[in-house]
Amino acid sequence: MQKIGIHLGLILACIVILLPPFWVLRTSLVPESLAYSAEFFPGFSTENYTALFGKNHFGTYYLNSIIVSSLSVALALPFAATTGYAFARFKTGGRLARFIVLATQMLPPVALVLPAFSILHSAGLTNSLTGLTLVYAALNLPFLAWILMGFFEGIPIDLEWAAMTDGTTAWGAFWRIVLPVSLPGIAAAGVLGFILSWNEFLFALVLSGPKTSTIPVALAALQTSNGVQIGKVSAGVVLAILPLVLASRFIQRFIIQGLTFGSVK
Amino acid sequence: MASIELSKVSKIYPNGAIGVHDLDLKIEDGEFVIFLGPSGCGKSTTLRMIAGLESLSAGEIRIGGKVVNTMAPRDRNIAVVFQSYALYPHMTVWQNMAFGIKMRGVSAGEIEKKVSDASTLLGLNELLGRKPAALSGGQRQRVALGRAIVREPQAFLLDEPLSNLDAQLRAEMRLELVKLHRRLGRTTIHVTHDQIEAMTMGDRICIMREGRLIQAGAPLDVYANPADTFVARFLASPPMNLIPATLEAHGNGALSVRIGTLALPVPDQYVSSYRTYAGKPVLFGARSEDFYETGQQPFCHPVTMKAVAVESLGAENILIGLLGESNSIEVTARLTRYFSAAIGSIATLFLDMRPMHLFDSETNKVIARPKLPVISSRAAA
Repeated sequence: MQKIGIHLGLILACIVILLPPFWVLRTSLVPESLAYSAEFFPGFSTENYTALFGKNHFGTYYLNSIIVSSLSVALALPFAATTGYAFARFKTGGRLARFIVLATQMLPPVALVLPAFSILHSAGLTNSLTGLTLVYAALNLPFLAWILMGFFEGIPIDLEWAAMTDGTTAWGAFWRIVLPVSLPGIAAAGVLGFILSWNEFLFALVLSGPKTSTIPVALAALQTSNGVQIGKVSAGVVLAILPLVLASRFIQRFIIQGLTFGSVK
Repeated sequence: MASIELSKVSKIYPNGAIGVHDLDLKIEDGEFVIFLGPSGCGKSTTLRMIAGLESLSAGEIRIGGKVVNTMAPRDRNIAVVFQSYALYPHMTVWQNMAFGIKMRGVSAGEIEKKVSDASTLLGLNELLGRKPAALSGGQRQRVALGRAIVREPQAFLLDEPLSNLDAQLRAEMRLELVKLHRRLGRTTIHVTHDQIEAMTMGDRICIMREGRLIQAGAPLDVYANPADTFVARFLASPPMNLIPATLEAHGNGALSVRIGTLALPVPDQYVSSYRTYAGKPVLFGARSEDFYETGQQPFCHPVTMKAVAVESLGAENILIGLLGESNSIEVTARLTRYFSAAIGSIATLFLDMRPMHLFDSETNKVIARPKLPVISSRAAA
């Protein structure tokens, strides 16, 4: 009886959590005119999706988001890995350096967006994917370095010592042993960085132009003077969260691997 | 192969803590030396300094006559086996074993041959394709050894390589390591806090405490002639009994150890050595195995004690008793498996006084006396 109660409670919790995303999916697949209907599924239509990719150029924004998010992570990861390793192994800069790196994450984004705009403007990189990629890489770097530092601290130093007595330099031990061993951690950090860049709105709004917008900006643009186009917004939200759902699935596996990594011995 | 020489080696950490203090030691070419001591005594730090994994604060380390203080670990041509084995988890057994020689630019054919030879020697042929996660503790230990052997280094540095194994496997691997050393003849330093490993494996043991080398010598010699109370207690299980006593002089020139009403005569050959301590408080040292149930052995003297506990180990029984008028001195005696005593009863044992030791009660240093001849089965073999 107690077990049934627990299961009923869990089912209820699942419904509460899953209802909003389910309703978004449902709204994206019904005609705009029936979107506010109280009926569970008043009709099926893909018009919202076709409109998004046609009139609203969502394909371009989607591609922009993928390019900016992927490249910014690819750019930040090598720097983050070496910075994290330096903090973890050599205690570079002591606690102060660690704190300063973390402190950059405590600043409100709005305090950074104007200086970023000013820098990009003087470099002629506003309204460009390159500019946005560079800014996202810079924003991701401290966060990724901090995450990777934790992973590197979990790697027994004996592995590096063994490599160094086996004939590598300290850099060789990092490259040949530490990096391959911490791949799950690096992958997890990469996916988290991708998600952060993918969801970022403020910098994208200020630094991108009509052709270089990303998904969050494009979604916001669906709120027009004629009101919110709820069908299209829902379709856009479904498209926006799709890569994140896939990434979460991927990261889950790697984070679990990362957590069990300590059993090297 | 090479000798390893440490001259006035010290390690002081940035926070002022002393890791190793003024260590002087010469390890001969091909020698098997054991570093023994409790946790934090500096034995692993010393090993790491020899390997080049830790910098020296002062002093000099020579390997094969060459000063290596600033030489990178990879250039010292020594192999380290770590307590955690430190196998590369993303590589197979074969790749783990080949890694070191690959780094040294050995040709593919040569790598194949060396790995094959080492894996045959250690019985790893069936495991070469596996990753470390798929190996048992003993197998990992063998792979770690194999990785060291393949490199054919000048010296092996073993940092508590047996401590993660169960008791049976540890006993097997102890023997394997000794055989391996005989076969390869390389200079070997084995760090341990296990006194059985120390007594059975090495040509020489170096006992360390708080970063200092307390005593170095052949295992049985150190066992029979400990330099101080720390060595006396550390190098035995159960530890040596150390009993506060007074050295009493008699009219006929004889000496006896006075413990309350109990007087134990000092063997004649030690009298001249101990005479200066007559009338002074000392620590009387008696090993648990020097107690007997019968007084048939020569130089044995009766000692009565109140039995507190009898631990039956199968092959022998350990009696824990209380000595002295107020039953305040705890004594441990290692007796045959036939010994029995009711708890609380008075047991009479016989103590062989020939291996006795006296320690200065202030400095805890041994009071020198003629050494007992050491009978070593290893030397005989």
